[in-house]
Amino acid sequence: MTDQNLPKSARNFDVQRNLPDEVRLANAMDGFVAEFGPTAASYMNACVRCGLCAEACHFYLATDDPKYTPIHKIKPFEEAYNRTSGPFAWLNKMLGRAPKLSIEELEQWEELIYDSCNMCGRCTLACPMGIDIAELVKEARHGMFAAGLLPDRLMHLVTKAEEFDSPFGTPEDFRTTVRQIEKEFGVSMPMDKEKADVLMTLTPEALENHHFGIATMARVLNHLGLDWTYCSDAFEATNFGYLSGDLELQGELTVRLINKAKAIGASTLIIPECGHAWGAARWEAAKWYGAPIEGLRIRHIIEVLAEAVEAGKLKCTPVNESVTFHDPCQQIRRGGLERMPRVLLKALGMELHELDPHGVEGFCCGGGGGVLANERAEPLRLKAFELKKQAVEASGAKHFVTSCNICELTMSKDIEAIGWDKQIESVIDLIGTHMITDEPPLKSPAGKAGGARKKSGTPATGKTKRKRPAKKK
Amino acid sequence: MTLIQLLEGPLWKGSAAIFVVFGIWRLAVILFTGRTRAKAKPAGSPFVGSVRTILGHFLPGAAIRGHGKTWFVTLAGYSFHIGLFALLLFAAPHVTFIRDKILGVGWAPLPRWGFIVAAEFAFAGLLALWVRRFVDPVVRLISRPDDHIAAGLTFVVMLTGCMALGQQSVFLRGLHLGLVEIWLVYFPFSSLMHTFTWPLSRGLTGAMAGRRGTRM
Amino acid sequence: MAKSLWCILTRFLPRLLVMVLLFTGAQGLLVAPGAAQGIATGVTMETGPENTLGNRSDAEIWHDLRLGADGIVTPPSGPDAGTVINANGTWWSNMRRADGPLVRYGGYGLAGVVGILLLFFLIRGRIGYGEDSGKQILRFRLSQRVVHWTVAAIFILMASTGLILLFGRAYVVPFAGKTVYSVLATASMQAHNLFGPVFAVFLLAMLFLFIRGNIPKPHDIWWILKGGGFFGGHASAGKYNFGEKLWFWTAILAGITLTVTGFLMLFPDTFAPEVVKTLQAQGLSQIPPTRDTIHYSELAHAIAALIFIGYALGHIYLGTIGTKGSLKGMVDGKVDENWARAHHDLWLDLQQKKQQETEK
Repeated sequence: MTDQNLPKSARNFDVQRNLPDEVRLANAMDGFVAEFGPTAASYMNACVRCGLCAEACHFYLATDDPKYTPIHKIKPFEEAYNRTSGPFAWLNKMLGRAPKLSIEELEQWEELIYDSCNMCGRCTLACPMGIDIAELVKEARHGMFAAGLLPDRLMHLVTKAEEFDSPFGTPEDFRTTVRQIEKEFGVSMPMDKEKADVLMTLTPEALENHHFGIATMARVLNHLGLDWTYCSDAFEATNFGYLSGDLELQGELTVRLINKAKAIGASTLIIPECGHAWGAARWEAAKWYGAPIEGLRIRHIIEVLAEAVEAGKLKCTPVNESVTFHDPCQQIRRGGLERMPRVLLKALGMELHELDPHGVEGFCCGGGGGVLANERAEPLRLKAFELKKQAVEASGAKHFVTSCNICELTMSKDIEAIGWDKQIESVIDLIGTHMITDEPPLKSPAGKAGGARKKSGTPATGKTKRKRPAKKK
Repeated sequence: MTLIQLLEGPLWKGSAAIFVVFGIWRLAVILFTGRTRAKAKPAGSPFVGSVRTILGHFLPGAAIRGHGKTWFVTLAGYSFHIGLFALLLFAAPHVTFIRDKILGVGWAPLPRWGFIVAAEFAFAGLLALWVRRFVDPVVRLISRPDDHIAAGLTFVVMLTGCMALGQQSVFLRGLHLGLVEIWLVYFPFSSLMHTFTWPLSRGLTGAMAGRRGTRM
Repeated sequence: MAKSLWCILTRFLPRLLVMVLLFTGAQGLLVAPGAAQGIATGVTMETGPENTLGNRSDAEIWHDLRLGADGIVTPPSGPDAGTVINANGTWWSNMRRADGPLVRYGGYGLAGVVGILLLFFLIRGRIGYGEDSGKQILRFRLSQRVVHWTVAAIFILMASTGLILLFGRAYVVPFAGKTVYSVLATASMQAHNLFGPVFAVFLLAMLFLFIRGNIPKPHDIWWILKGGGFFGGHASAGKYNFGEKLWFWTAILAGITLTVTGFLMLFPDTFAPEVVKTLQAQGLSQIPPTRDTIHYSELAHAIAALIFIGYALGHIYLGTIGTKGSLKGMVDGKVDENWARAHHDLWLDLQQKKQQETEK
């Protein structure tokens, strides 16, 4: 191991909580294996170090730096696992081989575990052993969180999520903002109905930066004639427990959504345009709920829309322009929704020029897995974005569309940072503006523009100014 | 008891026992790790997904196809593995050994030229892959001592096996057998266990992907 | 191409070797090859050699046999069919004896190379390039590095087993005894035979991956005139200096010789007769039957190997302890710019110019 492969600067890691090093180390190990089952255990016993995962990782491809090899990102935990809880931990103990995990190593790995992994799972496709490295990085984050070693910025969001139930703010903040959007765009948005068939959730990204998207989504739900509602005490779709490695918070946030949906008698819980929220709710909720979730379908908004299109309930005026689609990794590769956005783009009458690579093989936007929120990772993220930029340009399409708030926000920030002349648009916004409906038109005249975010921070036409709602207790 | 009798008798039995017992132990620990948690309602078939991944990952994924390194690792990997299996199961002395010491039944061995061709492929693949561990910055960084020991032991086992090909010297036969026994003892504790763990990791990832209605 | 190669190998190379060996006083070779073959002396197959009742002296019988007397013999077909004893191999047998010229002069040669390197190291020490510039430049791609080290690994295996086979009777048997050597010899032979074809394949890959930059250029003359900078002073060079180019072509030509002769020896009954027949039909060779082909192959194999190993010793010395910073280039692929400035300035200039152009 040469020095050049370790993070360089004096201190590019953050530390939370005042804990003795021994406690951090012990917590890290316990946290790492806390969620282990046969799947993770088989992964820990299968790697042959062929290095092919590097070929799949956008951070490695963009930098050519071996330290971004996916499997390398969990190295300290792998060593510790073998010594303390693997199949031969007892033998290592008998031989007196002490756990090798050191606090310095964990500190150095903080960057690799949080800044340079989106948990997008592209490396899984490359692994000859089929190891899902994204899953292992998630386990490593459990350990890092327990050790109090994660980026301050993520910790900040976790704290807020714990305090107000959402990194966005309190139920009151939420109600105020929704009322504001309702008024501004002239779309009715049911709030806190006692009983409803559908519980709709939102992301803090949209609540802060993309009100137009919230309005279009509500308009589509109204058009479909659904009996739906927001709930001010369960509106948060994102799960910062999932991103940070805070298992307790992850469970709490998930269970609250499920319980609320059941309490209002909902048959469907809809997750908005967000990637990891989909994974956390659709694929991991049952684990935290403690039982298979009966009588409640957890659905993604693009799934609901695509179904409506296919049932003939949703039609659009054709756009007749070329489009290319960025596949959000948590929805497509890890979420099973590959077909849905394509159904929607077809309904919009757009000519789809696929990216190379696309679909399950598509590159991540670089912002998922908490990397966008973690601002110190920006330079690396921008390098990785170069791959996406090249692919989009090669597609030659006029529109650049995606279906995830985080992808959209990440890439609009990247586009701004590198000064690229391109807009990223949301497929839901396009549907919301182009659908043929009896619903009242969106008030804002600029709504026709498709509501794309021109530059981050400065909202696109048809959106309110980025505004924090009245704040904090 | 002479050394060769020792190697063919108690040491062989002992090392084979360690191989079997600790290999099964390791697989058992993997399979019984953690508790079973409630799972989401499937969007697709976990079984179909796992079959798809187990078979699909025999070829490099589309995500990395076309990269020079992918082709190199795939070709060298297959060259080594196919060559090794042909030698392991079909070399004439091995068929005799398996018949006499393990299964009690034998089968038609490879002709001599077949053995030589298999050995060429096995050596070429193993050497090229092992050399890459030293000169490719990615694999050099991630290689553990175990990866080198596993490759080195396999190499000397194969080398001494070929050196004993003349079947003229008890010493060479003993050397080969002795190294095989060391290799067997090392096996269950090392990354050589990927021989048995790959269907597990592939299958479990595939089941997850199948459940989610996607493919990985 | 292939035809002319055969021509070189079978027509000119043996003659050259004969001259070389005559020059070095190889007495064993004085039995002119091929001269005796086929001259029957009135002995018929049906009766076998006459005088089996002892009415001719041993010397007379042996004389007939040497001249290729027919007889009732075991090999019923093949190149030696009907020949009681093919006596043509005597020269080779003398040549390759433990105290024969091949072992003696081969040994002198290799010892000489080691001596020169040692002397050079004592006088010149490790050749440096001053301070590190901190800037790295790519010298060898990953594919080149993998192929280089795979060839290197197999080379070491081939060279050590080959040397054991060549020098074993002279230097191993006296110290370790015949039993030990017999084990060593059979092991070496099996390994040598098995790794040979692998070596050939990787050598071919090496030819393609390294030929660029290894074509001699006019500016190499200056490098030669300046003694390659080995004795002080600066000798400009491109990606490879003339010494390295010579090494590349030595390795390739020696490699081809070793491969061709090696295959002839591996499959003496498959390839060799066909080769001989083809060459004879085209009037390209006067080399008579198979056994002689094999003997020439063995000789060419040994000489090519000795040259290859001798040059390799120099290469290994210069690549490791001889020059600071060279090994890094073949391991990491990258070298320090000051290293490149000191050893391959023309190449560095070209790379920097290319880089500037792409940046524009």
